[in-house]
Amino acid sequence: MVQIVISSTGAEGLAEWVLMELQGEIEARYSTGLAGNLLGDLHYTTEGIPVLIVGHHILYGKIIHLEKPFAVLVKHTPGKQDCDELGRETGTQYLVTALIKNKILFKTRPKPIITNVPKKV
Amino acid sequence: MTRLSPCCGMPGPTAPRRTREEVDATLQVAKLNAAELLPTVHCLSFGSGTSGAATGDFCLLELEPALCQQLEAGDSFVIRGDKDEQAVLCSKDKTYDLKIADTSNMLLFIPGCKTPDQLKGEETQSNIVHTEIFGFSNNYWELRRCRPKLKKLKKLLMENTYEGPDSQKEEDPSRSKYTTEDLLNQIQASEEEIMAQLQVLNACEIGGYWRILEFDYEIKLLNHVTQLVDSESWSFNKVPLNVCLQELGPLEPEPSHVAVPRIFKEMIEHCLKCYGKKYVDKGEVYFELNADKVCRATAEMLLQNAVKFNLAEFQEVWQQSVPEGMTTRLDQLKGLALVDRSSRPEIIFLFKVDALPEGTQDRFNSLFSLREKWTEEDIAPYIQDLCGEKQTIGALLTKYSRSSMQNGVKVYNSRRLIS
Repeated sequence: MVQIVISSTGAEGLAEWVLMELQGEIEARYSTGLAGNLLGDLHYTTEGIPVLIVGHHILYGKIIHLEKPFAVLVKHTPGKQDCDELGRETGTQYLVTALIKNKILFKTRPKPIITNVPKKV
Repeated sequence: MTRLSPCCGMPGPTAPRRTREEVDATLQVAKLNAAELLPTVHCLSFGSGTSGAATGDFCLLELEPALCQQLEAGDSFVIRGDKDEQAVLCSKDKTYDLKIADTSNMLLFIPGCKTPDQLKGEETQSNIVHTEIFGFSNNYWELRRCRPKLKKLKKLLMENTYEGPDSQKEEDPSRSKYTTEDLLNQIQASEEEIMAQLQVLNACEIGGYWRILEFDYEIKLLNHVTQLVDSESWSFNKVPLNVCLQELGPLEPEPSHVAVPRIFKEMIEHCLKCYGKKYVDKGEVYFELNADKVCRATAEMLLQNAVKFNLAEFQEVWQQSVPEGMTTRLDQLKGLALVDRSSRPEIIFLFKVDALPEGTQDRFNSLFSLREKWTEEDIAPYIQDLCGEKQTIGALLTKYSRSSMQNGVKVYNSRRLIS
């Protein structure tokens, strides 16, 4: 049988991340993929409402505490040097990198930022 | 479909870091009042290594709160499954079906992102936090508590039952044997669930390997004990362990190995553990024999060589075969034997729940193949183990069978035709 261990270092080693949920998709302006690109600025109002400015759009969201938290699992596939004490090659493992207990949900439509257009003379 | 384009989308290994001035300028363009915002702003960007979960390098696993606490305590989980099996996730004591859940939305994982509550507790100074998005996904793994797949456990151990230390089988190295670790490698269940099931199966760890005793051998051991109880006129509620070992120890055959007498004594003690409850009185170890278990095993012994047994005759022989003071009752045989009251004379025959299919629909098909109509009382022992945390026998019957009245009694039959 295949056995994949999901291991955790305990609370001290576990970071706490945030999940952000956006409607639809995010596309890069150029066809270079998303890696390395800015997404936008995330602010919070004094009432705690998240505000995300992406390009020429602005989104208002809300913070949701997750009743069922998420774990972020990172796959670790051993190289040949990864052997346990008995010399057996260990199988694929997932390491729990972080826990996510809060989500920022943006479910309304993004609003365009309208800049001042100078009047034609 | 909503499409968003990040601003300043200059391709390159790393996005340029935005300054406070740039952020403030954006706020002004967006007509947002900085006084209504918390001072801290997260400038979010996709790291140079950011990728989607589709690459398989990472994934998102939804946890119920108890599992989250176990991870925080440093516990591990195991995903188990052969190629032909649906994968399950096992914690130390529970088993969960593992399924992928899709969402049309985009999920971003963001390390180091603070929530408003966290920020309000900090210093109120204008602050930019440059935050890299670790990854994104539009699905996650979700867990649903499920019954551990334990049928395989008995199947594996029954491949090589234990017939005693002097059996020729023990000399055969090709016989399959399983350590605890071997079982964890084979069974889709948590360790605690496996250990609990080994108890239910009356399994015994011999030389580090888990074994189920051959039934005839187990009955022989039990008979040794019950005959000793009878000859010593003990109450079966108070069987002294040490006297048993002293009296029964010499019953072993001519010792060919040093280990044989020790193993035989271990077997006697194992038998007492299986059929009784251990307690200590004035420093002496005693066992209280469980009448239901002893009666049940005796019945199985009587029935296993008879395809059908006249009910009245069986009940008479059965009562005579159990130790004095024990009372036999048919309800002791739930899930083991079935009475056919429609035949003349009434008969009883072996019908073991653990010989039935594990899947719910297959189980019901099997039951309705044997008997077209069942009362709830008769069928309950044969579907009890299918009930999960939230499923009741009534719910299962409602879902998988159809009820009707027969001679004033409610009976259940199949919802579909059984070929």
